[in-house]
Amino acid sequence: MSVIAFERQQSAGLWSETELDTIVAALSAAIVSGNGRGWETAMTEKGDAQFYLLGPFPDQACELCVSRIGGRYILEDGSGRLLFEHQSLALVALHAKAAIRPAWSGLVARVALLWCTIRHMIHDRLEPLLTESEEMLVHLAPQLAAFA
Amino acid sequence: MKRGKHQEVLAEKLQRKAAPEARQLRKQAGDWLKQRRADAGLSQADLAARLGLKYYTFISQVENGFSRVPTETMAAWATELGLEPAAFAKHLLLYYEPELHRLLFGAKK
Repeated sequence: MSVIAFERQQSAGLWSETELDTIVAALSAAIVSGNGRGWETAMTEKGDAQFYLLGPFPDQACELCVSRIGGRYILEDGSGRLLFEHQSLALVALHAKAAIRPAWSGLVARVALLWCTIRHMIHDRLEPLLTESEEMLVHLAPQLAAFA
Repeated sequence: MKRGKHQEVLAEKLQRKAAPEARQLRKQAGDWLKQRRADAGLSQADLAARLGLKYYTFISQVENGFSRVPTETMAAWATELGLEPAAFAKHLLLYYEPELHRLLFGAKK
């Protein structure tokens, strides 16, 4: 008989390496975006672990905070708004990832807007040229036909 | 074009210089709040409960200097800590917005 060794869930104290890896992996998109963004850990007065996702320079204020209280993971924003809580860190990390997504969707929206603007400009410049060629063809076609 | 780049670099340098200061001031505000809470004889959990928060983690977030006391809850924090709200807000402004504090109330004594 083989016994599967489940990883014991920590309920107090510092973050385990596995826990940190899970959170950092979920928030990697925000962390690697640069401009001073990063993360730090700290403890509450009761010794419960906290993870802070820091915003860009100059403030570097907390954007998201994951805390572990009695084996339960709490996700809050920088204003203390409770976003999600669960016993599964993976699930909390997913919600944290979703919480930082609006910034990326904003970027996607800006790129889409830029693309539409470029297309519109091309359309505006090309259309008169095409219309002009079409008019010229209409004038020249009967003459060409007469020659033929 | 060259000047624009130079200005960008300068702005970035200034931002980087201001960053530790902002964080340091927030931490000082956190330490001050921690002391006021201790004076009021409250634990982080007690204060959170009085402020109607489900968890006390935000109190720790603020005291550790990673977040600010939200303006909309400053009066409640002051009341629970046994402080006068206007004086409480004015003191926090000294850390959170030092330049605004200087403009409104003059140089720090």
